[in-house]
Amino acid sequence: MSRELKLHIIKPGLFTTVQDQGRPGYQAFGVPISGALDQKSAAVGNLLVNNSAQTPVLEITMMGPTIQFEGVGWIAITGANLSPSLNGVPCQQYQTLAVNSGDTLKFGRPIDGCRAYLAVAGEWILPKWLGSYSAITQNGAQLTPASILTKGQIITITSSTPTSRTWPVEGRLSGAGTSPIRVLPGPEFESFSRFNIGSFFSQTFTISPDSNRMGYRLKECLSSFKPEKELISSGVIPGTIQVTGAGQPILLLADAQTTGGYYRLANVVGKDMDVIAQLKPGDQIRFALLLDKAGDEGISASV
Amino acid sequence: MIEIKRFGDQGLLVNFEQKIDPAINDKVIALSEAVRTQFSAAIRFVIPAYCSLTIQYDPGLVSFQVLSSHIHRLFKKGKGDQARKTRHLVVPVCYDPVFGLDIEDFCQTKAWETAELIRRHVEPLYRVYMLGFLPGFVYMGKLPETLQCKRRSTPRLRVPERSVAIAGAQTGIYPSEAPGGWHIIGRTPLALMRPQEEEGFLFKAGDQVQFKSITLEQYQEIEVQVEQGLYVLETSYV
Repeated sequence: MSRELKLHIIKPGLFTTVQDQGRPGYQAFGVPISGALDQKSAAVGNLLVNNSAQTPVLEITMMGPTIQFEGVGWIAITGANLSPSLNGVPCQQYQTLAVNSGDTLKFGRPIDGCRAYLAVAGEWILPKWLGSYSAITQNGAQLTPASILTKGQIITITSSTPTSRTWPVEGRLSGAGTSPIRVLPGPEFESFSRFNIGSFFSQTFTISPDSNRMGYRLKECLSSFKPEKELISSGVIPGTIQVTGAGQPILLLADAQTTGGYYRLANVVGKDMDVIAQLKPGDQIRFALLLDKAGDEGISASV
Repeated sequence: MIEIKRFGDQGLLVNFEQKIDPAINDKVIALSEAVRTQFSAAIRFVIPAYCSLTIQYDPGLVSFQVLSSHIHRLFKKGKGDQARKTRHLVVPVCYDPVFGLDIEDFCQTKAWETAELIRRHVEPLYRVYMLGFLPGFVYMGKLPETLQCKRRSTPRLRVPERSVAIAGAQTGIYPSEAPGGWHIIGRTPLALMRPQEEEGFLFKAGDQVQFKSITLEQYQEIEVQVEQGLYVLETSYV
């Protein structure tokens, strides 16, 4: 039996977007891949409310939205702990929750991580662009206007009733960013001096405030990095760590441009991108070089 | 000659001779199509650029080794040398200073009338080398040497959509409003991107472009026709 659940966006929060698995396949036209930055948390959210993996979720960044529900439905909140509460009472994450007309979901202080995900049981009635609901950072207002939450917006979901579930504690997000992020050498790895490579792997980097879904700028520069020549624009992918002419490393994320002209030092392995997604400005990050052989069959495939 | 490098744990990069050259770019495009045809769903996406091809694949279906040895075979078999017909598009551009925000400054540095810049810009046949930077942004070349220039020292925060611009040895068109450092010399009334259509991109890599100078009045006429879906783009295959 289907019925409607409406999400009234009372406050959009700092930056709340609709995200799914993105739009791979259009990169030859310069379209960023997009999609939830922490794919695992988004997938667990959908799983808890019995949605297919392709169903969109709300990606909630640091300061969450205020949402009032109209109708009856089911939700689950995963990813970062941003102090969610339902009608003023703190609510459980990683668990299927029933919501009724008039219920209000709010978020408070960010406790752990950067991005929380709100999954809602049922089919989301929203426009798609190139097969995906995902908002994009550049030109988002023009290309994916309904997917960047605004005050007063109403999102309608044809709700369904899932089996109530709780996700095991061990499988939840916990203390992101403690172990080094695994990388493979990038296409221009050999153009960097031993000194630069040595300092890249021994140094601790800080995520700069000048960071968004396109990429994280890292505060600490690779001093004395001198690009030998200008590169001809070439492809970049989420996880690419490129280094500007001034030696600043930029870690590219899902909304990055598809091409660039900077030296590509390294690439974060797919599986560690979910960890990256939970880092916020000011957080620290270290990198470890993965031996070439270990990357053969794809880290994300060998869970 | 090609060189294949690992690009992350689910990607690879095929580097061709690092040169902006139509023959090399032809091979990039042909190889990108051949790989997609051969491996279909095992390929998540491809990014053909001037002289490189980025491929992201599903490592559960195909490994780096299998994919790279097959790419070498495809390349050796000359999959990059097939004669394909080139799509030739005539793109109207209005060079009026209302749209060509930098045209007067640029001409001043050269001591040209604006007509001189227009003549030089519409003269060559350009090749679409790649799309990138923004959804639907086209990188075209090669610009005649007399038009080649450095980027603006201060990039504009908002370049209007459909602006035609030049920088380095390239000319390009902004599909939508965006920040940008290229010199704006005109605007096309064409829609480069129709957001709600699946195949809504006007250009693709490998296309040949001939610019045609139009007046402000013609611009307005064509703009209306484009909005109503009545404008027929001059297209031929050569």
